Amino acid sequence: MVDPMRFEPGQTRARRRRVRGVLQALRPGRFYLYLTPTFAFLAVFAYYPPLLAFYRSFYDWDGVRIEKWAGIGNYVNMFHDEVLLRSVWNLAQLTVFAVAVSVVFPLLTAELICSLRNRRAQFWHRVLLVVPMVVPIMVQLLLWKFIYDPNVGLLNALLRLVRIPSQAWLHEPKLALYSMMFMAFPFVGAINVLIFLAGLNNIGQPVFDAAKIDGASVIQRFFRIDVPLVKGQIKLIVILTIIGTLNGYGTQLILTDGGPGYSTMVPALRMYQQAFRFNHLGYACAIGMALFAAIFGLTFINMKLMRTDYE
Amino acid sequence: MSRRRDNSLEMVKHVLMAIVIALVIYPYAMLIILSFKNNNQFYSRPWVITFPLHFGNYGAALEALVRYVGNSLVVTSATCFGVVLLSAFSAYVFARFEFRGKQFLFYAIISLMMIPGVLGLVPRFVIVKRLGLLNTYWALILPYIAAGQVMGIFLLRTFFESIPKDLFDAAKIDGAGDFRSFSSVAVPLCKPTMATVAIINVQFAWNDLIWPLVVISDDKLKPLTIGLLSFQSQFATYSMTRWGPLFAGYVVASIPLVVLFMIASRAFVEGLTTGALKA
Repeated sequence: MVDPMRFEPGQTRARRRRVRGVLQALRPGRFYLYLTPTFAFLAVFAYYPPLLAFYRSFYDWDGVRIEKWAGIGNYVNMFHDEVLLRSVWNLAQLTVFAVAVSVVFPLLTAELICSLRNRRAQFWHRVLLVVPMVVPIMVQLLLWKFIYDPNVGLLNALLRLVRIPSQAWLHEPKLALYSMMFMAFPFVGAINVLIFLAGLNNIGQPVFDAAKIDGASVIQRFFRIDVPLVKGQIKLIVILTIIGTLNGYGTQLILTDGGPGYSTMVPALRMYQQAFRFNHLGYACAIGMALFAAIFGLTFINMKLMRTDYE
Repeated sequence: MSRRRDNSLEMVKHVLMAIVIALVIYPYAMLIILSFKNNNQFYSRPWVITFPLHFGNYGAALEALVRYVGNSLVVTSATCFGVVLLSAFSAYVFARFEFRGKQFLFYAIISLMMIPGVLGLVPRFVIVKRLGLLNTYWALILPYIAAGQVMGIFLLRTFFESIPKDLFDAAKIDGAGDFRSFSSVAVPLCKPTMATVAIINVQFAWNDLIWPLVVISDDKLKPLTIGLLSFQSQFATYSMTRWGPLFAGYVVASIPLVVLFMIASRAFVEGLTTGALKA
């Protein structure tokens, strides 16, 4: 008869060895286990939503009960949606303006900072430019709402000083869209300036010195050396600005709700309103798809048009 | 002669720069000046400092805003914690180990950067609604964590790959398992990058405007961004606007980020630029 007390250690050892063998075989598999939390989050909130948007863009859908196949009906409707078409034109104006000013002004500012001889001054200008980034976007929006206020706003107070009659700005259909464009004034967003500064610093003093010795004027240097060498940065900012403008509608939503009339309506806001005010979720998804296609296309074109060879 | 011309040119540049900075800063200086006024002072002399300063404005604003600030703190810190933890660990797995399909999985994550937020908005709302999360903190926190991870993994993986492999091998020889070498080797080394990731997400969660508007309607749970709208309608009614407390409220809403900026200005600026560059 075998004494169980003496038998047990060996048995456990064998079992342990077997368990270890199984674990060994699973070892490479553990990496998938490690990544599970990340992919669980992404699956629910990042992969599924765009797919669902694509799928539901072919439906009459209110998110609750109505769920009817509509084919390309939603997409066709977009071309008959006067408000949407108008909003595309508004968006085009906003985008062109935003791209122009967010390249030109930050680049000039970066040149200015870069050319200062005093390092301390360079540092402080950079810090001060970042200050607005610390103020919550909502506060900035409400502040601009006040600046444009027809009765007590800062802008009209300034105009009164030079005897120009007060304007209604955001409440005036002809001015509202332009007022919105100028909300970025003086257009020197910290991020863009910092990106350009990094680019200019990369060029390096020897190149600037060489240009100086060859007798290049400041203007010549700017167009012949600086601009070509920060082309990568320009491309990046153009893309970021386009994406930001097509994606964004917080300003419109908070300040004008697309009005007065539809003078500041943009497609993304139209999408928002269709979804959350009129329960046309399927149609909203179709607008979302169109915006996605537009962003994708514009980014692609930009990449192709502005080739940078040295990347 | 040329020296003097250089100096005067330098002066011109400084003046130009000062003008730019003044234009950038002025609205916020104006905000602070206005926040100390009562309505009489506001209507008679709005653009200069007037005495007495009305500190009481801040009391009134704080009382109305404190709940929203609290909500934003909860949501922002939970988001930040979740994103940093998850993306650091996943980035570590991607950087440290070899396994089948690794590249594919990594690109599957990175490709999400090309999907604009506007596309997923409507379905994400439906998903959150079906999960029964509307009007909870989770409705904000969970999608924020999902969104923040993409950039986080990207930034942190690059960093982890730059850590010499020897360090990890040494840890392994000393008997450290995967988790131990993550927490004792990888994390301590990448604190600056983790701070950058954290700041990017603080900025994002603190500022996000549209998503809370969609999923939170209960006033008790509103984060600061949309809380400010309720606040606005409380102090600026059609009959009378109490300007001082209104502007004081805007200042109060800015304070947490200002404090963070002062504590971690380096990581802050880094977060801004890397966030934009790698996006």
